[in-house]
Amino acid sequence: MMLLPTATTLTFQQDFYYSVAERTKFFASKCRSLSPSLNTKDSSPKGKFRFSACTSSRRSNKKNNTKWYIKQPTWRLWGEEKADGALYTVYLKKVRYHRPTRSLSSSHSDSDDEISHLEWETVRVRFVKAGTLKRLVEALATDDGELETTYINVFLATYRSFSSPKEVLRLLLQRYEELADPPENGKPDHHEQHRKTLISALHVWLDSYPEDFKESPHHPALIQLVNFCEKYLPATELEAKVRHRLDRYSREQPPKITDTLLIPPATLALRTAVPEWKCYRLPNVPVRHFAEQLTRMDVDLFKKLVPHQCLGAVWSRRDKSRSHEAATVLATVNQFNAVSFRVISSILVEPGHKALDRAFIIICWIDIAQELRVLKNFSSLKAIISGLQSNPIYRLQKTWAVVAKEKIELFDELARIFSEDNNQWAQRELLMREGTAKFADTVGENDKQLQKIFQRQNNHSANISFGTIPYLGTFLTDLTMIDTAIPDTISDGLINFDKRRKEFEVLAQIKLLQGAANAYNLIGDIVFDRWFDSILVLDDREAYQLSCQIEPSQNNHVSKVKKKSSGHQKNDSIASNSSSNSSQFYCDIDSMPSSPHNSIERKLSPSQMSNSSSSSSLPSLDVSLNSSHSGRDNKLQVPLNSSGTLSPSHSQKSSPDFYVIKVTFETNSVETEGIVLYKSIMLSNNERTPQVIRNAMYKLGLEGNPDNYTLAQVLPDKEMILPLNANVYYAVNTAYNLNFILRQKKPEEAESNGKAAKSKIKL
Amino acid sequence: MREYKIVVLGSGGVGKSALTVQFVQGIFVEKYDPTIEDSYRKQVEVEGQQCMLEILDTAGTEQFTAMRDLYMKNGQGFILVYSITAQSTFNDLQDLREQILRVKDTDDVPMVLVGNKCDLEDERVVGKDLGGNLARTFNCAFMETSAKAKTNVSEIFYDLVKQINKKSPEKKVKVKKPRLCTLL
Repeated sequence: MMLLPTATTLTFQQDFYYSVAERTKFFASKCRSLSPSLNTKDSSPKGKFRFSACTSSRRSNKKNNTKWYIKQPTWRLWGEEKADGALYTVYLKKVRYHRPTRSLSSSHSDSDDEISHLEWETVRVRFVKAGTLKRLVEALATDDGELETTYINVFLATYRSFSSPKEVLRLLLQRYEELADPPENGKPDHHEQHRKTLISALHVWLDSYPEDFKESPHHPALIQLVNFCEKYLPATELEAKVRHRLDRYSREQPPKITDTLLIPPATLALRTAVPEWKCYRLPNVPVRHFAEQLTRMDVDLFKKLVPHQCLGAVWSRRDKSRSHEAATVLATVNQFNAVSFRVISSILVEPGHKALDRAFIIICWIDIAQELRVLKNFSSLKAIISGLQSNPIYRLQKTWAVVAKEKIELFDELARIFSEDNNQWAQRELLMREGTAKFADTVGENDKQLQKIFQRQNNHSANISFGTIPYLGTFLTDLTMIDTAIPDTISDGLINFDKRRKEFEVLAQIKLLQGAANAYNLIGDIVFDRWFDSILVLDDREAYQLSCQIEPSQNNHVSKVKKKSSGHQKNDSIASNSSSNSSQFYCDIDSMPSSPHNSIERKLSPSQMSNSSSSSSLPSLDVSLNSSHSGRDNKLQVPLNSSGTLSPSHSQKSSPDFYVIKVTFETNSVETEGIVLYKSIMLSNNERTPQVIRNAMYKLGLEGNPDNYTLAQVLPDKEMILPLNANVYYAVNTAYNLNFILRQKKPEEAESNGKAAKSKIKL
Repeated sequence: MREYKIVVLGSGGVGKSALTVQFVQGIFVEKYDPTIEDSYRKQVEVEGQQCMLEILDTAGTEQFTAMRDLYMKNGQGFILVYSITAQSTFNDLQDLREQILRVKDTDDVPMVLVGNKCDLEDERVVGKDLGGNLARTFNCAFMETSAKAKTNVSEIFYDLVKQINKKSPEKKVKVKKPRLCTLL
């Protein structure tokens, strides 16, 4: 049985159950329409998943005694209720419950067994729909002063989209202090209960999101908590926990950068210690072992994945000022790509191979994919399928023609899992059914090959159980769409908490699967790692060129000629046309301790890169292969494999945190004529035009009003004047050198401000 | 009813998802579920014909680079989106287009170039003329849109449907595009 890693108690059921109930109807209807094709063992297809979600209460805060044991609640929407600074949705619920009497000392003992009475009742339940931040923090305790556990889970998983740890902590402690005064009309007990609940909330927070309190070097949040405890809660469990935490963090070696730099060599050293004679060579490799090793890599990354980094507000908007905040997501994406690239290049790179040799490698990957299906690793499974379906591989008709028929069938069956039809229904359904099941057993009636495989597997290993590694992309798309479609605030600026509940439905699934991933028990193999790192990686253009060398395009004459000419253009433009490439290049430079100023000298890149890629042996391939991409990608593997050091700056497509730009000042002064004086300034990723102008003026020693200046990027045959309030980091043309010119506005220009600047935009 | 598979491509942060949501949902909604089967499906009437549009939005998965080929293989028409406030998102499209042509193995692919976020005029860095020029080299339609201000959103989808109709009238499309795996 699988458990949520964060504190969860039974109230979790209440609204999860509710939303699930609605969906189950949908799945049930879906199932009927498809019933012959699905091997339905469980009458409710959602059953496994829901059951685990609802019983996942273990690691919860033991002090919290929520006593609502729900059997088939019947819910009815009653309406909305507005209160000062908050909006509630109100439901009427018929419920059978038992509620033990709460002894005064019960906060430390589980008293679940003391059933005092048992009855049915209709109760009114309020859910916070929206509210000010202050109200949302207050709502951590219910009206009765109890801990609202669903609520706190949703809140802690999502609050970073609308607030910060610092702010929430401040409000929470402030609330505690406010409750110190006896209530005007209520019983003092009531306040006491509220305060206890707030302390419980702090415990839950500290336990489930320790990173929120870690801020080197001084960890101000923890110090604030220590002071708070000294004042209000001396010698309590909370104080002990906070002090211990502070102690531990202070003792840790603070500079993380050295860690990142030190680990790769260490790993490399380990790898060289492997006997040279032992190495893998496709297609003669143990496929089950390979599948397990890929899974081992995925499990490591998946367990480290921080679910809230997947939120639309973090992941899909991260280009603004927070690329580091999605590091664990990026690491997962990079691993996915790394696997796909390895599939592609392993099939293409040996120039001497015959069609049959390549077919064997394809078959080998299909076999590995099949094992991944058994292991329920949908991430690497999809990566391999994507690799085989990528254009450079897929178009090799002669090669596919010699792949055995049943292997093609198997490939088709595996590919069907990831069909995009009906919003990826097949894959969603499969994840629901098997997400927390012990082993894979779902097949469609047309999946003949998979049926055989599962049969064999079930005979052999009936008592082995696996976790599940999902393909993360589906969750990322869902969260991006939720973030786009549902407004952040409603009714005059109240924070839309229903949006966060919706997001939490997705995050809860991820957490559930992360817990399930503990079921894997896979041991690393250095020889495999070395093989994985040794595979050369091609970018899609290189892969396509190689593929065309193997099997020339079947297309007619005209398009061939066109292709060729466009191919030339491509070669010419490789160095300069793609900004994504150039930003990758920036990343590498930035991650090196050497001067970031190098990043301006883009022209250097080909030579630097070919140095790094020359180590990968490639006997007889033409020049196009030795391009920068492969070199870069091999480098990329280092941070991925050195367990735990997920440095976003190594990531493939991410932008660097800053650019270094060169700014010169244009004057009419005769003395400086002919002298170009550049100053380099840092351009970080949230700076707008006035700020950048101010920085440039400071560096160039200019005084005066920044509004009287304009800033323009110097491009080969024109200038791009930056609008008054542009996000410069985002706006610049990174395909060219980042050279800028600062100009004093002419008097009339300075007066007519914004509009004038706008009309001057020309490229 | 004829089905159209439309793929929305572009760098992260250009507002692809907003275009899709705006088109499919019409308004920004409080209740929204991206996980149901027809989250991205919409029936429209174009040139007197009822059409079912199935939109594949790559939002959130831009960086799963290895999967782009598959999107491109399955799509019949493409919406290439950049943001008028970010030069790099404009530059990225050249590569995407090349990749589409490679995958489709033809130069004639129904496509619309879209400069999004045109409500942010005072942050504009990509001029409208520049978008127009690129569209001419791409030999495709061009529009500036704003998902936020609901400018030109349906128009891009309608234009694309017309292009697909023109390129492959009647039911030819289904015959021309066999299921991925049966090709082998």
